[in-house]
Amino acid sequence: MNTEFEHCIRCTLCVENCPVFRVDKDYPGPKQAGPDAARFRADNEAPVDEWVRKCAQCKRCDVACPYGVNPSELIQEAQVRYSEQHGKGLAATLFSRNYYLGLLGSLFAPVSNAVTGNKGMKKLFRALGISTYMTFPRFHFHTLSRSWQKKGKGKRKVVFFHGCYLDNNSPDLGRSMTGLLADLGIRVKVPKQVCCGVPALANGDLKLAKRFAAKNASILAGYIDRGYDVVYACTSCGNALTQEYPGVLDPPEGKKIAENTYDIHEYILMLMEAGEIKPDFAPVKKRVAYHIPCHLRSMGIGYPAAKLLRMIPGLTLQIHDDNCCGLSGSYGFKTTFEDNATHLGRIAGEAILERNPDLLISDCGACRMQLKHFTALSTMDPTELLRLSLSNKPCPSLTH
Amino acid sequence: MKTGKYDAVIVGGGISGLMAAIDLTRKGRRVAVVSKGDPICCLSTGCIDILKGVDSPRDGICDLPENHPYHLVGAGGLDRAAGLFVSVMKEAGLSYVGNVGQNRWILSPGGTRKQTALVPESMAHGNVEENETLVVIIFKGMKDFFPGYVTAKFQNADVYEFDPGNGSTLGIATKFDDPAFQEDFFKWFKSQKISKGKIALPAVLGTKPQVFGELAQKLDRKIFEIPTLPPSIPGLRMFKALKTCLQDAGADLYWGRSVESVEKDGDAIEAVTLAGIGRSTRIEARAFILATGSFVSGGLYARQDGVVKESVFDLPAYVPENRESWFGHNFFETGHGIEKAGIRVNGSFQPESTGIPNLFVCGSILAFSETMKYGCGHGMAIATGVTAAEKCEDHLA
Ligand SMILES: Cc1cc2nc3c(=O)[nH]c(=O)nc-3n(C[C@H](O)[C@H](O)[C@H](O)COP(=O)(O)OP(=O)(O)OC[C@H]3O[C@@H](n4cnc5c(N)ncnc54)[C@H](O)[C@@H]3O)c2cc1C
Ligand code: SF4
Ligand code: SF4
Repeated sequence: MNTEFEHCIRCTLCVENCPVFRVDKDYPGPKQAGPDAARFRADNEAPVDEWVRKCAQCKRCDVACPYGVNPSELIQEAQVRYSEQHGKGLAATLFSRNYYLGLLGSLFAPVSNAVTGNKGMKKLFRALGISTYMTFPRFHFHTLSRSWQKKGKGKRKVVFFHGCYLDNNSPDLGRSMTGLLADLGIRVKVPKQVCCGVPALANGDLKLAKRFAAKNASILAGYIDRGYDVVYACTSCGNALTQEYPGVLDPPEGKKIAENTYDIHEYILMLMEAGEIKPDFAPVKKRVAYHIPCHLRSMGIGYPAAKLLRMIPGLTLQIHDDNCCGLSGSYGFKTTFEDNATHLGRIAGEAILERNPDLLISDCGACRMQLKHFTALSTMDPTELLRLSLSNKPCPSLTH
Repeated sequence: MKTGKYDAVIVGGGISGLMAAIDLTRKGRRVAVVSKGDPICCLSTGCIDILKGVDSPRDGICDLPENHPYHLVGAGGLDRAAGLFVSVMKEAGLSYVGNVGQNRWILSPGGTRKQTALVPESMAHGNVEENETLVVIIFKGMKDFFPGYVTAKFQNADVYEFDPGNGSTLGIATKFDDPAFQEDFFKWFKSQKISKGKIALPAVLGTKPQVFGELAQKLDRKIFEIPTLPPSIPGLRMFKALKTCLQDAGADLYWGRSVESVEKDGDAIEAVTLAGIGRSTRIEARAFILATGSFVSGGLYARQDGVVKESVFDLPAYVPENRESWFGHNFFETGHGIEKAGIRVNGSFQPESTGIPNLFVCGSILAFSETMKYGCGHGMAIATGVTAAEKCEDHLA
């Protein structure tokens, strides 16, 4: 058992940062749900704290705590234990298997899109415990994995970890990302891969999450040994690869993966700093709201996309890193948490609109989906804005 | 803009480090702030204590013991720092009142009057006279506020209770952000037909800075906030305003990781590396500012054998020799002797007898600051932060 809770001085800094605590009076917040309750959680006793499920695993509490307590980890342990003993519930079981659903969804893309968009289906979804305040992300047949590719000819070689969202729901964006790397002279390969494991972990299925991690780790480690670096663009996948693989998911190659895996912007910056590439940014005259995904924050690598975007002349960046969008992966897709998710979405959306931006960017597909719903702004991935500046012509997929 | 090397990296994201960073970014410097976690100001009242027990803090700092860091700042430095702070807050929509030449009072959650210098607009009317007529509005289910302390001291205080549907400071403040909730509250307020007296409420009137002004206008009465136990909303408002200001100015923040190792080039510090689970992040700069706070934030730590260490650069730290003198009996009045511990600096805010040319130190980690004894927490942090940044700028220029 994790004993970091001994370091808690009960300062409440974590509580001040907890989005769920802000909007849900029945959630006691990270201090009580984490270190305080951990003192009373005995291995041989059945867990009774059902409210641990309310935690969205945004990890804002970990970032805030100056004393090295990671409340979200303590809570996650309790969530997994609770699910193991009491069952996960149907919606959570489905979402923990989103990888398989995604595979099915994309194979039968036209059918799945009709189904997820259908009114009658919405009723069924709610009966299953799946919330319907937003339309479901669309599925695409030409997934990234199905358009297996190799691009670029430089001396740097990377494998691109796309994860599920880019693969099934935004493959064009995924291809645009590999295109960006290739344009910068980097050799990109899209390797075989499975779900990073986060959805399974977030829905209380540690075993499945570990299985996914083991599979990815062995594939990626093979590439690393042959001189490849791993690059991701989805920040939740990134958080899994760099924080959870050497941690709770613990595949044998976990440390190697974490040491050789880069955020796409971090990688570009690194090559710029090494003098290997010299991108020439053309002006983009826009006021851009940048919603920082919780899982980018939690990695502690700063905000690399912001650093790059600040090099674009004419661009004004408004950073929003105080709000969780509320969707938190699949959290908001469950009816049990729908009120929290929509309330947080509204809060985050209003904060963005208050500053009157031209468009909204975020590295996370789920954040973009949620905040597009709550702001009606057009949304982009930061890489699209970079491509726009580097190619100096409008990007084909302006909204996701 | 260049990538790579920063002009200055500030280690420690408390009010001192953030103010130093703001000063440098406004002078066009490329700045990054590294912080292990959120700072103490998030837990504070949001009021800027400069020096207690005097009428004018600006004059009073001259009479402090000669090794107090305020002497390195001087009255002019204090004016510049406070001016910068107030203007930064104003830009963020958070108005502050008061001035460095005149202390004022606010009502504390214990029902006592607390002396401070600069206060958020929402506490301006907290300047209450003894036995003034007060109306205290409390919130049903709120655990962290006890009106009994106020009514015990103010005989002419009436208490009214509103049910916000959530009992936590953060939960209620979030509700107040919503105009529909404000309207409900306003209707309830009208229905209570409260005729006279200033209206006092625990500090939960919105997480956003503009909410207080909107409410005050609607209610059309003298209203003010009483600070609460942490989590503290006025502290949070202030912290967010500082952070937003810095990010708008283009500074980079690295939050949630502590400095793990330091690289030197001769005597100068060249880079710091942040602890990471996988690959660690290395940050190079021409100059560094240390603002990691005192014991409570981990800037200093004491070993079992009584040796006090500085946690990032392993600088020599001063500690009162006689261990008997470390602890006193009246903490809130006179503080503890161990509060003298910290880093001794020269007139340029550089650590004494280390020979490091590009390191500056500010905030509560400074030796002899004794923030509890002198009631100078945020004031000293802001003043030394801005002055250290000025010295750092001289070095960079
Ligand atoms: C509960 C409480 C309430 C207070 N209320 C008031 C008030 O109302 N008014 C007032 O004027 N004063 C108040 N004070 C005093 C005042 O808060 C402090 O003196 C002042 O804020 C100190 O600021 P600082 O920037 O020096 O340090 P801190 O706020 O302590 O900030 C230091 C920062 O450095 C970071 N850090 C530490 N070590 C490392 C490392 N190795 N690597 C990276 N980062 C690191 C920490 O995480 C922290 O964020 C209060 C103090 C306390 C404890
Ligand atoms: S977990 Fe950390 S931030 Fe939260 S109360 Fe404990 S010490 Fe403070
Ligand atoms: S992970 Fe997020 S939702 Fe969960 S306790 Fe921490 S701050 Fe709250």
